[in-house]
Amino acid sequence: MVSVTNVTKAFGDVVAVSDVSFTVGPGITALLGPNGAGKSTLFRMLCGLASPTRGTVRVLGRDARTDTDVRGMIGLAPQQDALFDRLDARQFVEIAATTHGVPDPSAAAARVLDIVELDPTDPKSVGAYSKGMRQRVKLAAALVNDPTVLILDEPLTGLDPVQRRRMIELFNRLGDGGKCVLVSSHVLDEVARLGSRVLVIAQGRLAAAGDYHALRDQMDDRPHRIRVVTDEPRRLAAALLQREVIDGVHVADGTVELNTSDVDGFGRQIAPVARELGVRLRGVRPIDDDLESVFRYLVERR
Amino acid sequence: MTGTVAAPQAISVTYRVILRQLVTTGRVVGLGLIGVAVAVVGWAVGQSIESSASVRLENAVGVISLVAFTIVVPVVSLVFAAASLGDTREDGTLVYLWLRPMRRWTVVVGAWLAAVTVSLPLTVIPTVLTAMLLDVGSDLIVATIIASALGVLAYSALFVLLGLLVKNAIVWGLGYVIIWEGVVAAFGSSAAKVAIRGYTSSILTARTGVQLELGDLSQTVGIVVPALIAVGALVLAAVRLDRLEVA
Repeated sequence: MVSVTNVTKAFGDVVAVSDVSFTVGPGITALLGPNGAGKSTLFRMLCGLASPTRGTVRVLGRDARTDTDVRGMIGLAPQQDALFDRLDARQFVEIAATTHGVPDPSAAAARVLDIVELDPTDPKSVGAYSKGMRQRVKLAAALVNDPTVLILDEPLTGLDPVQRRRMIELFNRLGDGGKCVLVSSHVLDEVARLGSRVLVIAQGRLAAAGDYHALRDQMDDRPHRIRVVTDEPRRLAAALLQREVIDGVHVADGTVELNTSDVDGFGRQIAPVARELGVRLRGVRPIDDDLESVFRYLVERR
Repeated sequence: MTGTVAAPQAISVTYRVILRQLVTTGRVVGLGLIGVAVAVVGWAVGQSIESSASVRLENAVGVISLVAFTIVVPVVSLVFAAASLGDTREDGTLVYLWLRPMRRWTVVVGAWLAAVTVSLPLTVIPTVLTAMLLDVGSDLIVATIIASALGVLAYSALFVLLGLLVKNAIVWGLGYVIIWEGVVAAFGSSAAKVAIRGYTSSILTARTGVQLELGDLSQTVGIVVPALIAVGALVLAAVRLDRLEVA
């Protein structure tokens, strides 16, 4: 349904997306990456809002930038928090329906507002809505034309946990119903709940693609850097090296910074080793467990 | 799947959305006050002119040319037309009109019509009122109606295009109105031909017989060329919209 082939997008000297290729079929696919990774640029190119510097992007076999009709089969909830603020939610979604040529736009607007749990009779303008409500208005507008391809750029931002759960259920229902649902996120836990297929993008490059659980294993298997604070760093470091649960170590001033590719083994051994040596552990904490580090690892190992 | 939206429907929905966004209290009151100020100037000048009929007419046409066609018509048109698509481009709402199965020209025409709808009453009413208060006969009133309306149509199309071409279109537009139309065009007939004010002045000259600076073209040319400028600017705006990278 969606194919991206050797796509690069540059803004002057800055390369936002670099030689990315993937295909996406029906079902839900998460595009995971840190802020500034190129997710929104990729989505903009999918929708035809921006043209690639190199490569081709096709949605349902067509180029949304030049093909008017295919734009009617795409639903986009953009990341930016921009709405026609002087309209109420029903008017806003009704306009989305009319601009898509949906028959009976008013009924269609009421139906999708109901799906996203907003009151179609609320007279308040969307300018007075909370961030979460505005997100749901955008979702409703994206759904109103019953699109074949649904592109949702960080759609869960600003939603409370209950709304987030319900929206994830909705995305999964749409994916199960045969629609191609592309959802971007920079939050790993969100992606874990979204579904199985994941595209990881970092520094403008496709770092990994495939099943979420397999990817999660890859992420867990990567070398970890851990900082241990102890009263006898040298003895502890030597003992851990001897037991081969760490790959390298740097000792400085009561602190051991170590690398391990067997984080589980390290976790099991550190306390018994310390007890055996009679050294006091004051702190053990990962220093590269943030998502950025995970993405960097995935990019570098390619 | 819905297919491409029919042109009248696309124009109509764009028109409604843009009109709703354009009409803010601040804009309407601010520009309405300029119109009131212009009418007051007209009334004051009308009261003070104590000369012969021909001198009165000459002075009145000069006043209309100055306040209506160098200030009110271009500035009011600029504010609304530049904002029509320019604001949506800058605030990120253009995506809701761009990523739709609608032809680009329908979006441009809808936005232009919305800008014209707001600008016409805010320009034609005060300028015609000014012409009436100057009290020099119906020729000036008719000339003011025709020239104001044509001026709004042409300037609005030009400034819809400008809003799609540059950020801070109001600043660029004011630069064009003040520097090009106000200063450069006054120095030569060639420059005047690419200034809309040259054509509105020609309409005033043709209908009142009072020779104005820049007003040396025939009435037909004065009417046809602004219409062509409007069509040309709208075509270019549609091309620009099609090629635009939308945020």
